[in-house]
Amino acid sequence: MSGKATYKTFKGGIHPPYNKELASGKAIRPAPVPSEVFIPLQQHIGAPNEPLVKPGDRVELGEKIGASEAFVSAPVHASVAGMVKDITEVTGFTGAKVKCVVITPDAEQPEFTKQDRDITALSDQEIRDIAREAGLVGMGGAAFPTHVKLTPPKDKPVDTVIINACECEPFLTCDHRVMLERPHDLVQGLKLLMRAVNAKRGIIGIEANKMDAVDAVRGAAKGEAGVEVDILEVKYPEGAEKMLIFALTGRKVPPGKLPSEVGCLVQNVGTAVALYEACAWGKPLYERVLTVTGQGIKDPANLLARVGTPISTLIEACGGFAGQPGKVIMGGPMTGWAQPDTSAPVVKGTSGIVVLTSELVDVGTEEECVRCGKCVDVCPMFLLPNFVVQAVKKEQWDRAEMWGALDCFECGCCSFTCPAYIPHVQYVRKAKAEIAALKRR
Amino acid sequence: MKVADKMLVTVSPHLHKKDETIQRAMKDVLIALTPAAVWALVVFGFNVVYILAVSCITAALSEVVMRKIMRRKPTLSDYSAMVTAVLFAFLLPPTTPLWVVAIGAFLAVGIGKELFGGLGKNIFNPAIFARVLLWFSPLAVYTTKFVKPFFWKTSGFFTPIATSINEGAVGRVVYKTLAGNPVDIPTAATPLALLKSGKWLPDMVAGPTPVGATWLNSGGKPSFWSLFLGAKSGCIGEVCILALLIGAAYLLWRRTIDWRIPVGIIGTFFLLTLVTWHHPIYNLFSGGLFLGAFFMATDWVTSPVTRRGKWIFAVGIGATVFIMRFWSLRPEGVAIAIFLWNIGTLVIDRYIAVPKFGEVGAKVFNQLPVLPEPAPEPAKKQA
Repeated sequence: MSGKATYKTFKGGIHPPYNKELASGKAIRPAPVPSEVFIPLQQHIGAPNEPLVKPGDRVELGEKIGASEAFVSAPVHASVAGMVKDITEVTGFTGAKVKCVVITPDAEQPEFTKQDRDITALSDQEIRDIAREAGLVGMGGAAFPTHVKLTPPKDKPVDTVIINACECEPFLTCDHRVMLERPHDLVQGLKLLMRAVNAKRGIIGIEANKMDAVDAVRGAAKGEAGVEVDILEVKYPEGAEKMLIFALTGRKVPPGKLPSEVGCLVQNVGTAVALYEACAWGKPLYERVLTVTGQGIKDPANLLARVGTPISTLIEACGGFAGQPGKVIMGGPMTGWAQPDTSAPVVKGTSGIVVLTSELVDVGTEEECVRCGKCVDVCPMFLLPNFVVQAVKKEQWDRAEMWGALDCFECGCCSFTCPAYIPHVQYVRKAKAEIAALKRR
Repeated sequence: MKVADKMLVTVSPHLHKKDETIQRAMKDVLIALTPAAVWALVVFGFNVVYILAVSCITAALSEVVMRKIMRRKPTLSDYSAMVTAVLFAFLLPPTTPLWVVAIGAFLAVGIGKELFGGLGKNIFNPAIFARVLLWFSPLAVYTTKFVKPFFWKTSGFFTPIATSINEGAVGRVVYKTLAGNPVDIPTAATPLALLKSGKWLPDMVAGPTPVGATWLNSGGKPSFWSLFLGAKSGCIGEVCILALLIGAAYLLWRRTIDWRIPVGIIGTFFLLTLVTWHHPIYNLFSGGLFLGAFFMATDWVTSPVTRRGKWIFAVGIGATVFIMRFWSLRPEGVAIAIFLWNIGTLVIDRYIAVPKFGEVGAKVFNQLPVLPEPAPEPAKKQA
C-alpha cells in the first residue's frame, strides 16, 4: 500500500478494511445540544465519583458535578448550562447501568470563556493537579485517569513520552482531524506531558495513511526541542501501547508490566490536546471530538460532542441512518461495544460511533477450531488464542493462564482472522475474570 | 428518535476478514489439487476418475452417516470430506480395486475423522490414517501394483485396469457395471522401488533428457524431466511434481498453508540425502515427498500451530522420511513419517514454549502456572 517505503512496526497484526475515507475529509464541527444530557458519574477506570449536585440545582458550563477523594479517579463536569433534572441510573455503552446526572440544558448555551494562562511557568505538580481537576482521562478508549499516569513510580523514571496518533482502528478519523486542525495544541500538550514526568524526549507516532497529518504536526513541532514525529506502518493494532512503544523505541514492555517499566508514557492525541486546553485555557474535559461514521450513516462527520449526549442525537446530526442499521458500535469496530439501541450517552473515552449496515455485518456461526494457527500468527503478543479458548471451554484456568489469557489486551486480531469465527476475546475475558477470582482468594 | 428494529449486539471485534472461512480454505485446497488430478487422468487414463468418484461418494456418505449416528450437525458443506477423499485417492496406486478405495475412504472420513470427533479433533490426517491402515492390512496385497505411465496408449483411454478386478466377485461386478470390460496391463515398478532393489540407478552423468524425446516414453530409465513432469509409475497424485508445485504456489499465495512446513521437510530431506551421498534431486522427485510436504503435512488440524513447532515438525518429518527410505524395507515412507509426526504434534504444541512479547530469558518448555484451588463444592451447599 505504502509502496517502497518501510515504516516502523511490530510482528503480527492484521490489515482490516480501513474505510477511513468516509470521514477523514470532514472538518470538525460542533454537535447540537440535546434536549437532555446524561452525564455518567464514573467515566474512568478507578474509584466511583459522588454527585456534588442534587435534582433542581442549577449548573454552569464546566462546573464540577461529581468527584471522589480516591487517587485513581477523575472528576466529571457539566457539559451544558442548565437545570439538574435527576440523578438516576441509565444503561451505559457497555450495557451495564451507570449512575448519571441528567441535566436539562438552557435554550441558549454560553460559549466557554477561555482563560489565558502562561503554560511555560507551570511546575510538574501543577500540571498533574490541573489534569486531575479538569477530569482528564485517556481518550483513546480505556479512560485511565491521566494524572495517575503522570505520576510514575519513583524508581521507574520516564524518559520518553509517546503520543499515540496511530488511530489504527478502522473507520475512526477524529485523531486525524485533530492533528490536521490543531497541530500546535497537540505539540504544546505533548510538551506539557513531557514536563509533567520530566522526560527529555517526546515522540508523536502517526500511521503512514495520514501523511497530511504528519506534515501538519511536523510543521507545528519545528523548533521544539526533543519533539519528534515518526511514521508507522499501517497495521492494526499499531496503536496498542506495548506495540507502539516497541515500534518507536525498540523497547519491550514485559508481560504484566506497565510502560513505565521501560521508561515510557503513552498518551492519546485527544488527551494531549485536552491537557493543553486545561492548562492554557482552564477548560475541563466536558466535550470531545469523535467520529460518527460507517456505511450505515447518511453523512459521516467528525463532531465536537458534549459528554452526556445520547448517541441518537449525534446520529441525527449526521443525517440519520442510511438503510437498515446492522450494528451500532460505540468506539472502533475492532474493540468497540455494539449497542442494543441508540440511547447510551457519550463519555470521555468515546472515540467514535460506527454504524455498519446489515450487509456489512459478518456474523459467521462459531465452528470447531481447526487449528489453522492463524490466530497464533497474527497475535501481536505471541500468545496462543486457540488454546486459551480450549482451556476456557474445559474450565482449565491454569492452562488458560499458561497460554497467555492474562497477557491478552483484547485487540481482536485472532477473531478477525479466524476461519471458524471463534470469538476468542469473549473467552479470554471469561478466563481473566475466573483467574482473577481464583487469585483473589 | 425511533430505535432501529433489529440491531446486532455481539462482542468485539465487529469486523471479520473477508473470505476467511473453513469452507473457502477447503475449496482452495481442492482447486490446488486440480492440476495434479488432471495430470493423473492423462498419465493413468480414465481409471483415475472411477477411483476419485468412489472415494468422494464414500467419503460423503460416511460423513453424513457417522454424523447422524453421533448426533452432530451436518458439515458436508465445509468440503473437508471432499479434500480428504481426493487426497486419499491421490495416495493410491492406479490399480487399486474400487472396493478397497471405498473401504479406505470410509476409514479416512468415518473413522479417521468423525470417530475422533470431527474436523478439528482428529489426531491424524484422515487420508494418511486410511492409507497407513490399508498398508498394514491384508488388503495391502491389492495396493502394491503400479502400472506403466501412459499404458492406455495401447489399450484405450477409457479402459479400466484389469489387475484390480481379478480379486473377488464384488469387485468384478462393480467394475463391470461402472466401466465395462477391463484389460490386462503390464505392471511397472516405481522409481523408488527400482532404486531400492538396486536394479536401476539414476543416470547422473548424462544429465536431463530434453522434453519430448523420452519423457513420454514409458520404457527405459526415467530421466529427471520425466520424474519432474510425471511420466513415471507411482500413486495417482504424486507423479507430477510440476502440477503439485502449481497447486502449492496457489495455496501459498492464498496463505492457506504455511511455507515453513514444506520448506522444512524438503530442505531437511535434501540436506540429508546430500550429505549421505545419495542423489538428492532424484530422491526428491521420486515418490510422494512433494504431495506429502505441501498437501498432507500442512494439514491445519494435525500440524503444530506455532512457528517454532512447525519447524520442529517439518524437520522431524524430513528426517523420518530419510530414515524410512534408506533404512527400512519399504521404498516409500512419506505417509508413515507424517503419520508418526501427527502424534508428535500434540507434544510439540503442549510443551514447546513460545516466549510472549517482551518475555526475557530462554524459555524452552511450557509449564503450568500454579493457581489456587477453586472453593470446595460442599462448603457452598452449607452456606
